[in-house]
Amino acid sequence: MWRSSASFILDKHQNNKPISLTHSIDSPPPPSASMADENPNPNPISAYYQTRAAHHGIVTSEWLEQAQAAVRRYPDHDYSVSPVSGRPFSVIEEFNNWRQQPDLAEAVAAIRALAAVIRASEATTMMELEIELKKASDTLKSWDTTSISLTAGCDLFMRYVTRTSALEFEDFNSAKSRVLERAEKFGEISCRARRIIAILSQDFIFDGCTILVHGFSRVVFEILKTSAQNKKVFRVLCSEGRPDKTGVLLAKELAKLDIPVKLLIDSAVAYSMDEVDMVFVGADGVVESGGIINMMGTYQIALVAHSMNKPVYVAAESYKFARLYPLDQKDLEPALRPIDFSVPVPPKVEVERSARDYTPPQYLTLLFTDLGVLTPSVVSDELIQLYL
Amino acid sequence: MPDVQSTVVEFVNKLRKRKIEGSQATAKCTVELLRSVISYQRVPHANQAAALIDAVKAVGQQLVAANPVELAVGNVVRRVLHIIREEDLSLTTAAMAGLDLLDASDDDDVDNCKGIGYPAMSAAVVAAAARSTLRPPSLQTLLEGTPESATVPYTSSSGADSESKTADKSSLTRKLKHDVIEGVNQLIHEIAGCHEQIAEQAIEHIHQNEVILTLGSSRTVLEFLCAAKEKKRSFRVFVAEGAPRYQGHLLAKELVARGLQTTVITDSAVFAMISRVNMVIIGAHAVMANGGVIGPVGVNMAALAAKKHAVPFVVLAGSHKLCPLYPHNPEVLLNELRSPSELLDFGEFSDCLDSGAGSGSLQVVNPTFDYVPPNLVSLFITDTGGHNPSYMYRLIADYYSADDLVM
Repeated sequence: MWRSSASFILDKHQNNKPISLTHSIDSPPPPSASMADENPNPNPISAYYQTRAAHHGIVTSEWLEQAQAAVRRYPDHDYSVSPVSGRPFSVIEEFNNWRQQPDLAEAVAAIRALAAVIRASEATTMMELEIELKKASDTLKSWDTTSISLTAGCDLFMRYVTRTSALEFEDFNSAKSRVLERAEKFGEISCRARRIIAILSQDFIFDGCTILVHGFSRVVFEILKTSAQNKKVFRVLCSEGRPDKTGVLLAKELAKLDIPVKLLIDSAVAYSMDEVDMVFVGADGVVESGGIINMMGTYQIALVAHSMNKPVYVAAESYKFARLYPLDQKDLEPALRPIDFSVPVPPKVEVERSARDYTPPQYLTLLFTDLGVLTPSVVSDELIQLYL
Repeated sequence: MPDVQSTVVEFVNKLRKRKIEGSQATAKCTVELLRSVISYQRVPHANQAAALIDAVKAVGQQLVAANPVELAVGNVVRRVLHIIREEDLSLTTAAMAGLDLLDASDDDDVDNCKGIGYPAMSAAVVAAAARSTLRPPSLQTLLEGTPESATVPYTSSSGADSESKTADKSSLTRKLKHDVIEGVNQLIHEIAGCHEQIAEQAIEHIHQNEVILTLGSSRTVLEFLCAAKEKKRSFRVFVAEGAPRYQGHLLAKELVARGLQTTVITDSAVFAMISRVNMVIIGAHAVMANGGVIGPVGVNMAALAAKKHAVPFVVLAGSHKLCPLYPHNPEVLLNELRSPSELLDFGEFSDCLDSGAGSGSLQVVNPTFDYVPPNLVSLFITDTGGHNPSYMYRLIADYYSADDLVM
């Protein structure tokens, strides 16, 4: 009876698991049979945001309990059976191991996991290897449907592998080692990407400017660090970023670099917007329209900045470009996470637990990527070139 | 060579003293200078393209440093560099195709080639790798890493060759320079002919009984309006005078001479008259990669007025005005302050201008250019046709190579 958006994804979820309106945040919903088959982690808490929270060190004890309970409940589903032999190699375990490292990007972890698949594979032809990889990639993607850079990273790597095999490498072993080498180099590519983005954005930060930052993006942090190293004089306003408290963490890191920082609660962004010269955000994913998917609150800040004619700059590596085209906020895979209000929430009250929102391209000014400085309209061009 | 050096120095001085007016004239002179630099440059047998590129880059850096505000200089230098890279690439692929045929006919050569330890890749692959160096970095090439193999086949061909191939190579040398000079001549032709190309499209945009507003004086706009007049469209023109140089007066005179009904208004009257206007047409000094426009001072005001009253804002620009850089502080960095004498008479104001003790001093700011953000522009008309501001990046990818962006 409430007005809802025309979203196919939401419809599909509502059909799968009928959730009562009085569902409280503490108990995970009972998994239906179909969900257990396709997703060994039926806990609707988004694993991607779980990991990010773990990186930031903000893990509430009850959350940790839930996560551990979920893993304990479904130990068998974590193993992906390899087609060649029934040995228990788990691509998901590999991925989780890599993902825990705080400095590693999501897509890099995914590609490293796929590289481990190649190393462990006993295939003798390119075709067999491709099929194994495809299976592993699909497992990873379905395990965490909410992570965009994971999907994008897997797709990019699969695309690269299929194109490499199309080149006339006479020897299977040399082709395999080349693909393995590239996968391992990808971590370097990611770091290099961050440095390139930092260099490209230096011109846009002038002396005496005030930068508003939302969320703790490692790319944006690299940009600010490089500016400080180049002896630029600027100050940063950090929005608190409830409930992850990313703002506090970022403020701590920036204070270590002697950059003047001011913390704002999320509601104080519009209040402070007129003293801001530019807004810098990272992105969890860049979609085909040129818009971005980022931590909850980004859309709000972009709207306010746009209405006051402040430029909004997005710093994102190119492997975050995804083939999604959300039409509105609910048109994404729901990524939920627990929110702590520090007072117990009454049982009949619903909580909006989505971890991210979509910012349409008309509110963004420029995207800084390792492919160069781009306007939002260039993103679809790049994606078409990749997938054509 | 010393002759070319002196012409370069002379041109640099002219640029520094702002003796050359107008981006078209500047672009043409720059290209002609670069053409003589290329034809006098002696190139080694291997990697000639790199030698040419270095020579052009060295001269280009001097020219850009002499007048950083005149973006057409940098644009044209990058165009020439792109031409060199393109010609080199097409020659390499042709050579590769030739090499492939030779290898297929002679078995010994095939064995030799593979014995060098050269990776067993087909010519098509090598050409594709070489082509990717020309394109800007993209998602496709993200995982491939830097394809240095583009130069490998070239040197390996010089390693495993016979006498006939050395003869081919010297003709290859001459061919590259020849092709590049042909390409540069084509560029000069294009720059000279941009007005006609743009004016041809006038008839599609200007309709009967329309009222057009323009600001200052631009040769492109003049030819555009006259082309429409010749095709028997009857329309009126409002010309904002474009203080403090009042070039709008000159434009108005020219338009009346060609038989167009013209009205001269002050710059301040633009907002008052905008509701009576059907379309605003202005000429640009430069177009930036995000679709922003650098134009004569006052166009930002006209653009804001047009946006407020939903009047289409059309910008005319030849392709030599397309700049691949993104503006981060255009009002300051890409602007030039002219002499205050254009605004105030020095005799009358000399006592105010003195920053004497006690009394304040009078500052005069006389900027030449204005920056219009891309959201205010409705349409760009270039010699290739009409485009959206968000499409500018495509034209830039066509005309320029990514390696030349930073000179």
